[in-house]
Amino acid sequence: MIKKRDILSFSMLYYKELRRFNKVVIQTVLTPLITSSLYLLIFGISLGKNIHLLGDIPYLAFIIPGLVMMGVLNNAYQNSSTSIISGKFSGDLQDLKITPLGDHQIIWALALGGLTRGLIVGGITFFVGQIFYYQIYDKFLLIVHPLYLVIFVIIGGLSFAVMGLCVAFWARTFDQLSAISSFILTPLIYLGGVFFTLENLHPTWQALSKFNPLLYLINGVRLGILGQSDVSLNSALVVSFGFFLFVYFIALRSLQKASFSRW
Amino acid sequence: MAPPLKVQNLVKNYNKVQAVKNVSFELQPGEIFGLLGPNGAGKTSIISCIVTLETPNEGLIEVFGHDVTQQAKAAKYKMGFVPQELIHHGFFSAEEILEIHSGYYCIVNNRERIHYLLNELGLWEHKDKKVRQLSGGMKRRLLVAKALVHEPRLLLLDEPTAGVDIELRESLWKFVCELKKEGVSVLLTTHYLEEAEELCQRVGVLSHGRLIKLGETHDLITELTHRRVSFSLKNSLKKIHHELKTEELNNRHIFNIPYTKSIEELFNELSLGLGDVTDLKIQEGSLEDAFRYLLVEDMEENK
Ligand SMILES: Nc1ncnc2c1ncn2[C@@H]1O[C@H](COP(=O)(O)OP(=O)(O)OP(=O)(O)O)[C@@H](O)[C@H]1O
Ligand SMILES: [Mg+2]
Repeated sequence: MIKKRDILSFSMLYYKELRRFNKVVIQTVLTPLITSSLYLLIFGISLGKNIHLLGDIPYLAFIIPGLVMMGVLNNAYQNSSTSIISGKFSGDLQDLKITPLGDHQIIWALALGGLTRGLIVGGITFFVGQIFYYQIYDKFLLIVHPLYLVIFVIIGGLSFAVMGLCVAFWARTFDQLSAISSFILTPLIYLGGVFFTLENLHPTWQALSKFNPLLYLINGVRLGILGQSDVSLNSALVVSFGFFLFVYFIALRSLQKASFSRW
Repeated sequence: MAPPLKVQNLVKNYNKVQAVKNVSFELQPGEIFGLLGPNGAGKTSIISCIVTLETPNEGLIEVFGHDVTQQAKAAKYKMGFVPQELIHHGFFSAEEILEIHSGYYCIVNNRERIHYLLNELGLWEHKDKKVRQLSGGMKRRLLVAKALVHEPRLLLLDEPTAGVDIELRESLWKFVCELKKEGVSVLLTTHYLEEAEELCQRVGVLSHGRLIKLGETHDLITELTHRRVSFSLKNSLKKIHHELKTEELNNRHIFNIPYTKSIEELFNELSLGLGDVTDLKIQEGSLEDAFRYLLVEDMEENK
């Protein structure tokens, strides 16, 4: 059962997470503003003119959902993993262990902290995307299924924040942390269909991509914004929720085993 | 009532290192207990197990009757912990840290307590500084304040006076004694044995992970150390022989007598009266002497 006490201590940790990235607001707002503008400029406009997808969707419209979700996932992940790692560095991570915060509270606080930052970045990316879209097509990109969009953004942000927590607890060095990010996460995100549809891929890659949970998350968002995507709504929902439960379970395990002491 | 702290047959291994070997002790309510031992003896390891930062390999730890592995939450509300290593906290000011820390214990409006602690620990002028702008000693004080935001009944202090100036050390101990008067039990480790001798009713001495001695500070001193008695004779030509005499320097006779022998007995055995001597000096044994004795003895046993 959830007790009032548990909610209280959880809210404090969440509040601390918010305060923490509030203090680095430039990174939070400016960085996504610049990177998403660059992506949109290069891929959406310059190269995009020569890319023709099946159907009548312009390439710019196609990559906006992908970029939004990429921003959400990356930032949710970054937020929780840097929070833990900096705690390992300064030593205040042990406060989470010696105070009566439970494992579930820690996970949810960091998950929501990451999600919040992810949503801010995703929102900014979407906003920048709209400006580009308006300039070219003289109209805004309408969201076809807002509810789907919300569901997939939230479930994706939470999952990635929780994943950031797992990796940060597991990592013993900075090298390990960046190895996970560059050898596993980035490829999965890029191969998850941010910039292309499955149809553009070789059949082998198409088959392999079906095992990439990010494909479902990213296409879920695309389904929400554009109303069409590479995967069906049901499979996207099942995989996304399954993925969340999976990482949540791993996080619980790693909190029970993890060391909270300083590096 | 369950004791504030009960440690029973505690064993802690790090891979191949046996850091704590079958240690048992208990704290009484309102007692200051000193855990002493040379570097690497296992003091921090024991405290880490109590505050759940490390998991014991064997044994039982209870805080006010709550098993720290089974009923961790209940136990955590009751204890406060000051770690040996300083903590830096990236972004927050001293006061913010204390507010956040209170929140972890589900205390929402803790301003009064926080201000009280900031004042008591001489941090008031520094409350708006970021933690990294504080000096080492101030960081240490902040750690003490943090450990006390939730009014714990058991306080664990791991070398709270390392790197702290004399003035603060005194005020810190005064504060700890006040807490003790309020009934808080304190477990502390320190390498300053005079401090331990002055503060602790009881001490436990650790060596290589084993508790080699446990008892009242006073008893330890009387059991393990000698009094040093020295005097000069009015009649400097007189010769004195006694088994407990250790030295004679320029007509100054020095004796090391166990606490079982009174000074009166010594004088009787020497057939001297107070009128025969001048400049009588008595030096009581110290905890430091007892400590040294224990460690030497332990080393010889383990040869
Ligand atoms: N995380 C760890 N991993 C491996 N060995 C450890 C770890 N922590 C402590 N040890 C070892 O356990 C033993 C006891 O260390 P501990 O820190 O408990 O000593 P201590 O009594 O607190 O010493 P000090 O007075 O220097 O603080 C030492 O041999 C130490 O090397
Ligand atoms: Mg230590």
